[in-house]
Amino acid sequence: MLSSADFLFYFLGLVSLVFGLGVVLFRNPIYSALCLVITMISVAGIFGTLDAWFIAGVQLIVYAGAVTVLFVMVLMLFDLKHEMKTFSKGVIGNGVKLAASGVLLGMLGTYIWATYATEPTFKPLPAAATSSIKATKDLATSLFTTYIFSFEVIGILLLVIAVGAVTLSRITGGTHHAD
Amino acid sequence: MPINPEAWKVGLDHYLYLSSLLFIFGMLGVLMRRNVIVILMCIELMLNAVNISFIAFSRYAESTNGQVMVFFVMTIAAAEAAVGLALAVTVFKKFKEVNIRFFEHLKG
Repeated sequence: MLSSADFLFYFLGLVSLVFGLGVVLFRNPIYSALCLVITMISVAGIFGTLDAWFIAGVQLIVYAGAVTVLFVMVLMLFDLKHEMKTFSKGVIGNGVKLAASGVLLGMLGTYIWATYATEPTFKPLPAAATSSIKATKDLATSLFTTYIFSFEVIGILLLVIAVGAVTLSRITGGTHHAD
Repeated sequence: MPINPEAWKVGLDHYLYLSSLLFIFGMLGVLMRRNVIVILMCIELMLNAVNISFIAFSRYAESTNGQVMVFFVMTIAAAEAAVGLALAVTVFKKFKEVNIRFFEHLKG
């Protein structure tokens, strides 16, 4: 008998797959961005079904909030109504791309089926660990002790990225012209 | 093959199937779309698919290390989106379009 958690997973998985396909297939980039928001939100729900509550919150804030707003803002900056050539051309090239993706999907699916299909379902966590405060505290402890060096390096990387993005947007000259 | 009701119970393998399907969708988008912004969106989709499998394995192993990795991946993804969009803005200022084929004129 399927539990309500299983139904929740199937619902969220279906939503994320359908709207993930929408990101690829919609011709208008604004529709792609809106599909991306719904995909991000359902992926946050999937993180919730895996008891990763803090990561689900970060997913909502960083992806569904900040990153998608950035995308939509840049799309509004451009006027892309005349964008016609949405997909790459060439029957052979597209066939090779589709075939390569299909082969990769088949390999991944077969590997998962052969390796993990016989695994039992997730063991229920001990009652102390299901409390979201305890789980978040564990995450913070390992982030600020074991992974403190990576954390600091990520901070420096963000600083470099901020400077780089500002520099890129200030570039006006160049060696080539549009015409 | 008879339908086994036990196979519908959600376990690690279901999360991995979902993750690989989303990854393939993102990969198809990166390969077949021409708009740079949509390509960046599809890269975000692929990173999200990888995050799902990280979290699923972290839950399976009952360890928080996978969640720390997802935290880092999210940071890198946000930074990558910022730089990619800055590049797209630069290309748009020059060519008035964000088709991927204009990126080959960026040398020099």
